[in-house]
Amino acid sequence: MSSLNTFGAILTYAIELESQLRDYYQAAGHSDRAREADKRRAKLERVRRETVLEITLEAIDGLEAGNYSLNTADTSSEGQKAVEATAARFYADVAPKINVREAQRALERAGREHAELV
Amino acid sequence: MARKIKNYIGGQWVESSAKTYTPVTNPATCEVLAECPESTYEDVDRAVQAAQEGFEEWRRTPVLNRAQYMHHFKNLLEERFEDIARIMVQENGKTIDEARGEVRRGIESVDFAMGVPFLMRADGVEDISSGIDEYTIRQPVGVFAAITPFNFPMMVPLWFLPTAITCGNTYIVKPSPQTPLSMELVYELLDELDLPEGVVNLVHGGKDAAMAVMEHPGIKGVSFVGSSPVAKLVYETCTRNGKRVQAQGGAKNYIAVMPDADMEASVKNIMGAAYGCAGQRCLAAAVVVGVGDAYDKLRAELVKQARNLRVGYGLNEGTQMGTVISGAAKERIENMIKRGEQEGAKVALDGRGKTVEGFEDGNFVGPTILEDVTPDMTVAKEEIFGPVLSLMKAPDFDSAVDVINRSHYGNAASIFTSNGKYAREFQYRVQAGNIGVNIGVAAPSASFPFGGQKDSFLGDLHGQGEDSIDFFTDRKIVIERWI
Repeated sequence: MSSLNTFGAILTYAIELESQLRDYYQAAGHSDRAREADKRRAKLERVRRETVLEITLEAIDGLEAGNYSLNTADTSSEGQKAVEATAARFYADVAPKINVREAQRALERAGREHAELV
Repeated sequence: MARKIKNYIGGQWVESSAKTYTPVTNPATCEVLAECPESTYEDVDRAVQAAQEGFEEWRRTPVLNRAQYMHHFKNLLEERFEDIARIMVQENGKTIDEARGEVRRGIESVDFAMGVPFLMRADGVEDISSGIDEYTIRQPVGVFAAITPFNFPMMVPLWFLPTAITCGNTYIVKPSPQTPLSMELVYELLDELDLPEGVVNLVHGGKDAAMAVMEHPGIKGVSFVGSSPVAKLVYETCTRNGKRVQAQGGAKNYIAVMPDADMEASVKNIMGAAYGCAGQRCLAAAVVVGVGDAYDKLRAELVKQARNLRVGYGLNEGTQMGTVISGAAKERIENMIKRGEQEGAKVALDGRGKTVEGFEDGNFVGPTILEDVTPDMTVAKEEIFGPVLSLMKAPDFDSAVDVINRSHYGNAASIFTSNGKYAREFQYRVQAGNIGVNIGVAAPSASFPFGGQKDSFLGDLHGQGEDSIDFFTDRKIVIERWI
């Protein structure tokens, strides 16, 4: 399992997660959710670009990418709730570990949006 | 066979007249990414002619229009942000987050240049004598050039180019032949702006191209960032040839840690300062001076944290420290560590012989800490430019300031303390141009000048900030009467 031990690793994983969700919802015919996922992806990319100067070299512990894999094979209603629960859990775990407030806010907000869909 | 990169002159990508090409190598994988021409005087002369022709139209372009190009340039840099960062990792060896940070800093310089319409304003007085008004105007000067280093291949050229051209000058960049690819991509973006031909030019090469820039009579000013011996050569050659020059040299940056410092926060900060970009920064922390009781706690915590740094390939997101630039650099750094041992320092953490699985030929040097370093040792005096931190003891604040001021460099110095009096005394007395208080890397943002003293800077006007407006313009005095 790859470790999410840096600012870049966490933000990049979040960006990839939202890209997966966008493609997942497009395949499921849920264009509104696909659009929202893409908006979050774009915002997280912008946050990664704009706040990278404030990070420190200190490693972040205790986060493994494998614990947040999405099951994109199941597009049923139950499957959608499950991916949203995984995404919400990811953001709830990573946001407190990021030491850049602007990036933390973006992750917290993404987490809230996913939690509302569980 | 790797592709041969081209120069950008007069709005066109053109082959160099070079007879020799040097490989551009990924320092982690040893893959040859491209071949960089050793451009000649002829190439530089072509660029200067194009820039001189471009100057005539460009200086007549209204300053607000010139500034608009910077808005578009910023948008293009943001769009290609990640591509630029990834290219830099591959040619330089830094981590992807370090590369992203560099791109952000480069864009900040473009942001600053958007303010040139305000910053170029001058002043005047009515009736200096009866019916006579006197005022100043700022005018662009002509063709400027930059000779830039391998360690920040995208950011450093942007310290100069955006402000210079928005002031109405035209520009030539001569990047390091070790890391030319990020600037090649930046110039692809500049090409998309459709600037008048000759406003921006790019000439790749090494020593011959650099000497041509320093000696060419058509170039009015040169900005340089690199080592102190070369800074001295640049300064002397350019001034002998009647040019303006700002030459930023090397460094040996000290950090004093007082007993009242917040040790946990201090060490976190010092780690980034020492090992960021594998220590290959003119603002890197090179020597930490533990004052009084601070030393033992500091030493223990630094060794513990440095030992846990993940060294690896920069494109892997979890990597915290990448390579040094080349095999030659690795050998030089390891020799300096050995020199330190020979002169009596102890190796508390040894980064020599570092290997990374999957990248066995990569130019890795692990985080290194030397302790019991004294001020007379070579490792305390000379720039190593690698991930090597020397630890020194000082009995009190005054001793720490004295040892810092003995250095022939004066780029940066920092103090970690909770006491305002020590902080104020430190900034007042220490002979360094960039001072950090509870900040390990005192990197000025784009609207401030980049300080530097002693052998770390030669010239009168520093890069960045309002100094750069003075460097890139000339003041003309007008005395006016209407009869």
